Amino acid sequence: MYSDPANKTSSRFDGLLADNTVLSALMVISPVIMCSDTLRNAEALIYAFSAITFISVILCSFVPRKLPYAVKVIIYAAIAALVYIPVKSLAQVTYPGIVSRVGIYFPLLAVNSLIVFRGESLFYGVKKARMITSLTFYILGFDAVMLVTAVIRELFTYGTFNSHMVDVSPTVSGLGMPFGGFILLGLMCGVYRKVRSALRPASDAEERKEGSDVSGN
Amino acid sequence: MHFIDIKNNNNERHSWIDMMLTLLTLEVMSFFYNGLHSAALAAVCLISSLAAEAVCLRLMKRSFTADDLPVSTDALITALMLPAVFDYAPACIACIFAVVAAKSVFGGRNNMIFSPAAAAYCFLYTSWKGQILLFQQPHDTAGVFETPETLVNSASHVFNTSGKFAYSGFELLMGNFPGPAGAVSILLLLIASVILIARKDISAGAFTGTVIGVAVMSAISPCSDSFVSSFILTLCNNMMLFAALFIISDRRIAPKRAYYAFFYGFFITVFAYVITVTTAKENAVVIVSVLFTPVSLGLKNLEKKIELAVREDLSPGASGMEVKADVQ
Repeated sequence: MYSDPANKTSSRFDGLLADNTVLSALMVISPVIMCSDTLRNAEALIYAFSAITFISVILCSFVPRKLPYAVKVIIYAAIAALVYIPVKSLAQVTYPGIVSRVGIYFPLLAVNSLIVFRGESLFYGVKKARMITSLTFYILGFDAVMLVTAVIRELFTYGTFNSHMVDVSPTVSGLGMPFGGFILLGLMCGVYRKVRSALRPASDAEERKEGSDVSGN
Repeated sequence: MHFIDIKNNNNERHSWIDMMLTLLTLEVMSFFYNGLHSAALAAVCLISSLAAEAVCLRLMKRSFTADDLPVSTDALITALMLPAVFDYAPACIACIFAVVAAKSVFGGRNNMIFSPAAAAYCFLYTSWKGQILLFQQPHDTAGVFETPETLVNSASHVFNTSGKFAYSGFELLMGNFPGPAGAVSILLLLIASVILIARKDISAGAFTGTVIGVAVMSAISPCSDSFVSSFILTLCNNMMLFAALFIISDRRIAPKRAYYAFFYGFFITVFAYVITVTTAKENAVVIVSVLFTPVSLGLKNLEKKIELAVREDLSPGASGMEVKADVQ
């Protein structure tokens, strides 16, 4: 259930909560699961995701819309790959050691779904000012989930907060492993959907009805 | 209209009573060998599981009924797989994890995809590996808040790494060797297996498959001097018999038909045996049983399709939609 930016009822702030990149659309979940076990990792990934996505989407918005979809996707990926190069160079200076520790998940951020696939439906059909605001909140939505996940996992896996010792006992080292990240993210998604449906039960019921209508057909 | 299957419900409740009796017997044996700490650990697991189940049911807007009592068997199974002197806090966390993450998120007791106790054990195995594989010597009893000064590796660890088992046959039967609280009482486990199979509380197919799997692998690649000793020691170590009884043969998880359940148990054992022999990983059978969830789900799906096809054959007049709804 994606919000349509052209729809007047959808808000430009939807990306933060109502249509959160990770919790609602389940996009870009692999770095959250695999690498967000410490706040330091999360900071590096937040920086990379925010920089790559923001610059790439802005640049991609200038790609002519008349081009075939397949060609546009290739161009979006190429732009994101180009943006990735300076972002990585800066990350190696700002977060030494983290880039190599994060491994393949760092370059994977360059081809995230927000740039390559959903940018088309979310950002490119609206005015630039609205696009930038909406994009910012979508990025902030990812950043918030990344931060919360990293804080919880670091606290309960290593008993630290941003590498400072905190008196947490007992620590659960399994939470720092991929399966722990998976379970935590799953639980967060469940809580998020519960909160969202509690906050706007009517619209969710309509969405469910629409969904069942579609599947029924 | 929704009908309650009274016969099935009664069977489930009788199974729960049988399982609880066998588990409590194992717990008494553990208390005899390891002291009050073992009983307190079981109580902690029981209370935390029941509390977590009550909260989860409340969140799902259901009430706690007698049909939800099997959560207590899962709690006792978890407690019996742990060292008798295991810390209370991790055990409590694991039980809550089992109820919340391994059971309730999949829809509760009617939609379980793997044994909550096995999931709890895997969780502890990854998070508290140093503690979960250290045991006290039998008769080195510990009070509720006491910990024995010396903790040792299990007899399974020694067997996995050296192929030697330094205990007599009598000690083996009586569980007089270091290991998980409930998994070492071999004689009791054998008696329990006979009772539970006779009363149809566990999947006989899965249990037989497990035992045959051990026999086949012991014949192909014995991990001891002879086939017989390899078979006996493999079955008695690494929680193999305990897992065969309470995890692999769990009727909620194993395929319903004995034929499929047999192969389910057989392949779990074969994989666990290979992992144990090649990596000396302790209690691999529990981890493998969790990893075999897709196999179980696939076999259950196949069973449903067969059931649907049989019903369609038996009632040619009924429309396809009605039959499908009935099966679901």
